[in-house]
Amino acid sequence: MNKLLEMRNITKWYGDHLANDRVDFDLAAGEVHALVGENGAGKTTLMKILYGMERATSGEIAIRGEVVRIHSPADAIRHGIGMVHQHFMLFPPFTVAENVVAGREPSRQGWFDRRRAEADVRDLCRRYRLELDPRRRVADCPVGIRQRVEIAKVLYRGADIIVLDEPTAVLTPLEVRDLLATVRHLAEQGKGIVIITHKLHEVMEVADRVTAMRQGRVTGRLLARDTNVEELSRLMVGRELASVVRPPARPGPVVLAADSLFLLGEGGKPKLNHVSLAVHRGEIVGIAGVSGNGQSELLRALTGDLPVDGGRISLLGRDITHLSVRERRLAGMAYIPEDRQHTGSAGVESVRDNAILGHHRRPEFQRCGWLRGRRIDREVESWVRRFGVRTPSLQAPAHSLSGGNLQKLVFARELAAGAPLLIAAEPTRGVDVGAMEFIHSELVKYRNEGGAVLLVSSDLNEVLALSDRILVMYDGAFTGELSPEEADEERVSLLMVGGVRSG
Amino acid sequence: MADQRLKRALEALLHPLAAIVLGLAVGALAIWAVGGSVADTYTQMWNGAFGSAYFAGETLTRAIPVALAGLGVAVAFRSGFFNLGGEGQMVLGAMATALTALYLPGPGWLKLLAGLFAGAAAGALWSWFAGWLEVRFGIQLVISTLLFNYIADLFASYLAGGPFKDQTGQGALNQTPMIEPSARLPKLSATSDLHAGLFVVLAAVVAVWLWFRFTALGYELRMYGSNRAFGQYGGLRESRMMAWAMAVSGVLAGLAGAVMVLGFQYRFIDNSLTDPQYAWVGLMAALLANANPFGVAVASLLFAALQTGGMGVELNTNVPMQISSIIQYVVVLLVSVKVGHWWVRRRRRQTQA
Repeated sequence: MNKLLEMRNITKWYGDHLANDRVDFDLAAGEVHALVGENGAGKTTLMKILYGMERATSGEIAIRGEVVRIHSPADAIRHGIGMVHQHFMLFPPFTVAENVVAGREPSRQGWFDRRRAEADVRDLCRRYRLELDPRRRVADCPVGIRQRVEIAKVLYRGADIIVLDEPTAVLTPLEVRDLLATVRHLAEQGKGIVIITHKLHEVMEVADRVTAMRQGRVTGRLLARDTNVEELSRLMVGRELASVVRPPARPGPVVLAADSLFLLGEGGKPKLNHVSLAVHRGEIVGIAGVSGNGQSELLRALTGDLPVDGGRISLLGRDITHLSVRERRLAGMAYIPEDRQHTGSAGVESVRDNAILGHHRRPEFQRCGWLRGRRIDREVESWVRRFGVRTPSLQAPAHSLSGGNLQKLVFARELAAGAPLLIAAEPTRGVDVGAMEFIHSELVKYRNEGGAVLLVSSDLNEVLALSDRILVMYDGAFTGELSPEEADEERVSLLMVGGVRSG
Repeated sequence: MADQRLKRALEALLHPLAAIVLGLAVGALAIWAVGGSVADTYTQMWNGAFGSAYFAGETLTRAIPVALAGLGVAVAFRSGFFNLGGEGQMVLGAMATALTALYLPGPGWLKLLAGLFAGAAAGALWSWFAGWLEVRFGIQLVISTLLFNYIADLFASYLAGGPFKDQTGQGALNQTPMIEPSARLPKLSATSDLHAGLFVVLAAVVAVWLWFRFTALGYELRMYGSNRAFGQYGGLRESRMMAWAMAVSGVLAGLAGAVMVLGFQYRFIDNSLTDPQYAWVGLMAALLANANPFGVAVASLLFAALQTGGMGVELNTNVPMQISSIIQYVVVLLVSVKVGHWWVRRRRRQTQA
């Protein structure tokens, strides 16, 4: 078999932490090779070594059978390795074409040749079937398109080995479908593709081969057609994953009610078009939908971040339509925001300080305006223990936590107050399987104890697995309500794209 | 845990220290270029700043208003706001202090305390007003605080040259009458001008540190300053955060003016606070120290020492005292690269939100 890439016996120590332990990895031309594992399993480290961002403590890399030294991303690019990072590295004010050619601009007599750049990009897109408008400003492109620009950038530099780091974490289901098709097509054109992920359904759909890692070691190397999701998750986590057990719901009285919420968007098109919903004690109501169909606006309106143009919101029978964020929190609303880094935490501040925002005025935590440090430490310590947040100390900055641990911290903070209502937006986006399992079981536990949960997620499987009732949102309104029994992926998908109204 | 805190503290120090070392290196280059001896010039600079009790006292005296103004900037900065109005707040504070100490009836100690209070209050109000304008009318703080300096300076000039002008003695100077000796801050040194304003600085440093670290309000401002979106999500209101941050920032700038009047000049003298650029040097100190209150005190002392040391250089060598400005501005330039970066990133975050 003709090997495009071979990484042999790669070992990487960070101080006394062993991040990669004698890892072997290879890739053939025309192959999609998935690298799976939980956060911290060492897959990103391995790829950073390949891309010259880190140096292996020992081991060697061979490209087309020839041992090479890669000490920097520039070396990697020279050897035909391209990487699409999880966080895009684009210049939003510039056009697609300008971004793609950046660093290797075609020029004429020393001037940037924009026409040729656009033509080149157009050719490139035709060849690899990437749908891109070279003249569009990146700032105006949705996330899925931006990612395509990143892929085009890598191809423009002539990469044969393309590494995609968690490419689907930020995409909607439809965008995911497009991306996977692109990946398949690139492989057919003879590119070798490494896809780092922990979404196993995608792996099964797109990959030829799978390498699973856990705690720095390779735990399995399999052909995708010979394996299944269960086996892979066992290899990743090291044990069987419990599926969510959900006893039947026993809904009580209404906790949150929204009545005909209306919000005008730009250009007179409503962002929320008379949206009504009710969440009862002891039930999880899930909102499914392709992101950008009003879910964010609904969340912001419910939590008090965005005033509505019409309608009424009540919490435990009390009108909260005009209350501030703080007053709503005091009235019994807890909220897990969509973006834990941008909204849910302050990265440079300590774990402790991140854990108490919103609680810090509670009498246990302050007396006459002075924070009660020891009480806070003790309490936060107990939350960290109960929710299994892995952190070196309470004083460590929040950005030192992995995605899953930071999300658990946000979770702990929001559940700690014992609020009767929890609004959870994308509660497991970008977290590893272990954390996801934990968060799901905590959500169900909270609901069993009488909590009311409004779950908003672009991960359809999550909504289907957890919800007692499912509302589907499209274009600023609900297109249907389904019970978990009648909801299957196909039916919900249809409603998500504005298909027939039901019920 | 203690280890980690120490490590973070050292990391925080790395950048300013590098800036200072580089500033001194560029200074050495400049000294060499004008034909001076680097070692001799820096020795003279050290002696001019700390060489005797007198010089050390002068340096400390100069650092007092710089540190207070710098603390003011630091408080706003930590809370996520840019207060460029330190100068105006300081001048209004000084004027309010002078007038209170002059015209309030009562014993000297009462005039002294009331003077300090009036200075702090004047600074706070002026600063808070700029914040209110942003909350109410969306007038950007960076613009309003900057322009408010002119209004405050000119208004104080008018008062000192008009209604409250000292009619006795040299009529050429625009200044208020002297305040009585019993209402002054005591001197701390027989030789230099060092006065009890030093204790005000020390108290302010500790108070700011305690406030941010141990009070609920300080905690809120810190979170809000670190990540505005996080603060708002947690229920913190912008109007309230801005009002507090700007008012406290103004209190400190106002106090800078107050101690200059009560401890150093004993009257309001037109241009005496603006010409030495105390507020702007304070701003640089706050940036250099990355808004850490203890750091602000140290950075203020450093910048004051550069100034007084520069005079020593001019007296005793052939190198001009502008050498100090070169060092100072190189340091600030290097620090502002980081701040500019911070500012741009923050803007971007806000527009994304």
